[in-house]
Formats: sequence, C-alpha cells, structure tokens
Amino acid sequence: MAIDHEMFRAAVHRRRFLAGTAALGAGVAAGALPRYARADSPPMLVTSIRSLSNPYHAVWKVGADAFAKQTGLAHVTLVTEGNSEKGISDINAMIAKTNGHMVLNVDPNNTPDARPIVEACAKAGVYVVTWWNKPADLHPWNFNPHYISHIEFDGASSGAYIADELFKAMGNEGGFVAIGGIISDSASIDRRRGMLAALKKNPNISLLDWQTADWQSQKAFDIMSSWLTRFGPKIKGVWAANDDMGTGALEALRSQGLAGQVPVVGIDGIKAAVEAVKAGEFVCTVTSDPYWQGGIGLSMGLEASQGKFDPAKEPRIHREFNATTVKITRANVDTYIKTEVDSHPQIDWTNLWNRVASPISYS
Amino acid sequence: MDSPPQMPELPARARVSALTTGDGRGAGRPSWLKRRLAGMAPLLVLVALCILLGILSPSFFSFRNLVWGVANQAAIPLILAMGATFVILMGSIDLSIEGILCVGAMIVALLCANDTNTNNFGWLGPLFALLACTALGLVSGLVHVGLRIPSFMATLGMWFVGLGIGTVILGGTAVRVLDPRVRAMAFLRIGYFPMAVWVAAAVFVLALLIERRTRFGRYVYAIGGGEDIAKLSGVPVARTRILAFTLAGFFTGIAAVLASAQLGQANTTIADGRLFMTITAVVVGGTALTGGWGGVVNSLVGTLTVVVLANGMVLLGISPYVHETVQGLMIIAAVALSVRRGARLVIK
Repeated sequence: MAIDHEMFRAAVHRRRFLAGTAALGAGVAAGALPRYARADSPPMLVTSIRSLSNPYHAVWKVGADAFAKQTGLAHVTLVTEGNSEKGISDINAMIAKTNGHMVLNVDPNNTPDARPIVEACAKAGVYVVTWWNKPADLHPWNFNPHYISHIEFDGASSGAYIADELFKAMGNEGGFVAIGGIISDSASIDRRRGMLAALKKNPNISLLDWQTADWQSQKAFDIMSSWLTRFGPKIKGVWAANDDMGTGALEALRSQGLAGQVPVVGIDGIKAAVEAVKAGEFVCTVTSDPYWQGGIGLSMGLEASQGKFDPAKEPRIHREFNATTVKITRANVDTYIKTEVDSHPQIDWTNLWNRVASPISYS
Repeated sequence: MDSPPQMPELPARARVSALTTGDGRGAGRPSWLKRRLAGMAPLLVLVALCILLGILSPSFFSFRNLVWGVANQAAIPLILAMGATFVILMGSIDLSIEGILCVGAMIVALLCANDTNTNNFGWLGPLFALLACTALGLVSGLVHVGLRIPSFMATLGMWFVGLGIGTVILGGTAVRVLDPRVRAMAFLRIGYFPMAVWVAAAVFVLALLIERRTRFGRYVYAIGGGEDIAKLSGVPVARTRILAFTLAGFFTGIAAVLASAQLGQANTTIADGRLFMTITAVVVGGTALTGGWGGVVNSLVGTLTVVVLANGMVLLGISPYVHETVQGLMIIAAVALSVRRGARLVIK
C-alpha cells in the first residue's frame, strides 16, 4: 500500500492552506527544542508524513497544527521526502531527544517501515498511530498498550460508491469510460475493483474503455480527447480514480462544449472537484479528510498517554480499521463549502471512534 | 592481450563542415542514398505508424481526431521539444523543463483572475510568466557556463529550484484559472484549429528560422560538432550556450502558459512526466544526444511520433497493462532505424 496516501489527493481548502504556510517553519524549529523531561510536562506531539508539496499531506499538517493549537502543546512535523531511511531515523532521533515523552501520528513511507517505527516506539513508551502502510502480520494488540491503532480507507468501497452515483446520473444506462491511476498502485487497483463490482450490478451500463493516466490531470486530458474522437457521443459518463484526473477529463469535455452534459466522478475532494460538483459538472467526490487524520491520530496518542483510555482494553475494531470517508454530492456541497472550505472545520477531537467503518481485510 | 579499441580520428575538416552543413562529424562516407534514407528514417517511422493506425482504427484519420487527438495534444510537447532541441544539438541537456514549467504555470494562474487571490492582471500574467521562465533559463545558462558546471547538474538544480518555488508558494494546493481570456489562449478556435495548435505552429516556424537563418543556429551545430574546433574558429561558445538555455526557458514559458490555459489550473505536479516525453520526442526524431546532428524538423517528427503513438493506443483500446512495453519497443525501434551507424563514434 506504499503509495496509497500520496495518491489520495486531498481536499484543499484556502484557509487551511494559509494557516499551513504560516506554520511551515515548525519542522525546522525541532532542533532548537529543549530535551524533554519525562516528568509532569505534557508530551510533545509528533507527525511524520511524506512531503508538504502534495495537497493531501499539506492539509494533514494543517489539521495536526490545529489540534496542537487547541491543546496548547508543542507540535513537530517530520517529512520523509519519500525516503524510508530518513523517516525512520528522524523518528528515532525525536524519541531520543524527547526521552520517549511524545506521541506519534505516522504515515509510514513504505509498508516495511511500520515495524521498526512501532518497535522503537513501544520500547521507548511512545504512543503511536499508523496510517495506510503496515505489514499484514503487524498488529496493534501485539504491542499493548503503546501501538494504539492502524487506520486505512477502503479504496474499493470508494470506487464503488462514485460508480453508483455516476450510474444514477446516467439514468442507469449507456456507456462510460474509466481512468485509473498508476497501474501498480494498490489505491488504483482497489478503486478499480470497486468500480467493476458496481458495474456488474448494472447490466444496462457498459464500460467502453479503461486507461490509466498515472494520477495526472494532463494525461487524463489527452486520453479523454482521444476517447472523444473514438467514441464521440457514446460516452455518457466518466469515472476517474482521483479528482486531478477527473478535472483533466472535465477540461477535455469543456473544450468540446460538453462540460456539465457528461457527468464526471472522482475521489479526493480537491477544491476544483468540489466546485465542479457545485457547478453541476461533477456528480460527486469522496475524501478521506486529511485534516481529521492529522488531528485525530495525535488526539488518540495524547488521550492514551494521559490515561483517559487504555488502548489494550479497546475492541479490535478500534485497533485496526477502515475509516469512513466524507462524501460530497450535489445534495451537501453547499454546506460542505460553507463549513469545510470557507471556514476551519469544527471537529470534536475527543470523539476518537466515530469514524470506524469496517475491519481491514488482507488479501 | 587485446589491443586497445581503435579510436577513429576525426578529420578536422569534417568537424568544421558542421558550420556550413549541419551534418558534420563521422568517419567514412556512406552513399548518398544511404545517408538520405537514414535521415528520413524517423519520418518513415511516423508515416508507417499513421498508416498502420489508419488501417486498424477508422477514426484515426477523422478530421476531429487529427485536430483534437493529435495536433492539440502535440502542441505543448512540440513547444518544449523546440527548446530542448537547441540544447541537445550542442551536446548538452536541459533537465529543468518540469521545474520551469511549474513556475510559469503558477505565475499565470496567480496573476490572472483566479480562485486564490484577488489579482486580475489579464495579459500581464502570461507576460510575466514568459519573462520569469526566460530568466530561469538564463540563470541555468549562466550557472552552466560561468561556474563551469555540466549542464546536466546545472539544469537538474534548476529543476528542483523551480519545483521548490512552486512548493513554497502553492504549498501543494491547486490554483484555478478563472480568466476566460487566458483559457481562450488554448481553446479559442480559429479556422477549425484551437489556439494552442496555432501557437505551436508559430513556435515551430520561429525555431526553424532560428536554426536555419541565424548565426546562433549555425553556432549551435558547430559547438555540438566539436566545441574545441568551434572555439578555435572564433565561435562565441559561452554566449551561444547561455543563449540556447535562455531560449529553452522562453519556449518552456510559452508551454507553461498553454498548459495552465488548457487545464485551467496550476499546481506543483502540472509538469510531471514532461521531461521524459520531451527528450524522447527529440531523440525519436533522430537528433543525437551527443550533439551536432538533427534539428527542429526532426523534433517535429519525433513529437508527432510520440503523440500519435499515445493517441493510437487509446483509439485501439490497447490495455494499459501493455502500454509502456509497446511505447518502449516503439522508441527502441525508432531510434534503431535512425541512428547513424556510419559514424563510428563511441556509443555511450
């Protein structure tokens, strides 16, 4: 599941972003922080993510900063830049610096990375939450109580959900085209599997063609242009595995005066897609809500370290689960823009388990 | 033991002849027909590919596909290839395309009417983007020549500088272009063709004139054919090199304006994959990475080959699982057909 999260391009919201740029320097400040005493002082909040140049992790950091501000605790963001070695050694350095007096919310760079990170945390008494990537045989309950939870999002159900919405918009008949991400990415594979499952249930819908655009807007634009000359008016809908490709396809439709006439769906909830939903050009989009991810992982760690709950006593569905996604359709897009885009989202960080959706299945 | 490999001595005359014919170095003289055929190979590959696609897919030769599936999709790659051609002709390489394009697209989006700030400078946005990209190209050239850093490293650095600027300013967000005048630069139709195609055609003619009708064009071939000889012959090598990188920056700027106009947005990933595509197009067209051989017409053929191939695979509905393999085989085939084996140079 290595590249899942990077592709799960995020909701990008103006104010979140502005707040994020203001806090960009936070990571740099880590070196200047004093060595934390184990005593009564509150733990340091630590986030480890891939980079700040992709919208998904940029919003993740804004959510983490918002949580830190609310609790008044110091927060440090570590960036792996796609380098597993760097990711692991930065975390080890931070554990040493704080003397283990910290909580960690980590999106491991790669599947194998989760094990050394979790082992180091358990040894030092650091409460840790992991996202997206971990080996199938590494379980939180084997590292009680410090490995609190591992959380993912079910790509297949997202892929199926947007496909169902697309089919409804097409009047449950006709042909559609589908654009996938990088062909070997598990996110791309899962989302396509969900789309194909939804297709099976709709005998009057046909998949005209499936191509991959490597998650990129420009490639989707080119592929869509070629499809329009190949299929022409036979295309009644467009399914895209992420919003960036969906908006690229939308622009190709716009160049032919077809924007709004051929429905498009995507995943990630980027701003352009949310506004396209409002304009009636997209049918729906789905987001994992990285703002929530950034805050909730730290909140779990903090509450556990303060003894507000004992991870070891939580049911297994709280230790390893797929979280619910946020679905944005024409029905709720106005409210969504008002509460999530134009203002900071109000999230109850103490409600740790309200987005538990389903257990993770390992294939 | 084996004797050391024999290095053919290049006759100085052959090198200097690059100044006048653009067809310089190499030992031996293959027959006229053979040379012409080798020179035509990329074009023959393109024609064969088109005929094959025309037979396999009836919609390939439809007017609509030729305009929107081929010409419009080739516009940005062609403009990028024009800039890269001059640099590659000198035997250098420009890796900064993606970084500079990112900066250009960002400037266009942030200065015209957009959804992130209240700017609305209209035409000034694209103008500033062009200036900024040209300036970045100039810096690449100055660093490369002034500090004597190989172009590979100088432009690699500029690539990351460009992406870094984009990351700091955009922070991973996308800025949408809302100015209809900017969007029109890609989509406005004049006589069946969208504006992007006209712009690309104009850039091609400009590049052709620079190559064929200016001293700079001659100098580029001379440097690619043999820099030491060119220098001894009085070619202003440093100035020419800097100018070539500046020109590449300028062309990248035009591509950046079109890219942001076409997609209606700018983000740090807008240029992903452009570098590879551009260099592929130049090489498939028959321009030698070692410099001194090829030209902008070759790059036009190469760009069309790459774009037609991508378009054809979608038209034929070829499974994405085999796309990359087919693409790779086609590239090897195109280069194998056009490489000048007569010139017994070291193959690096």
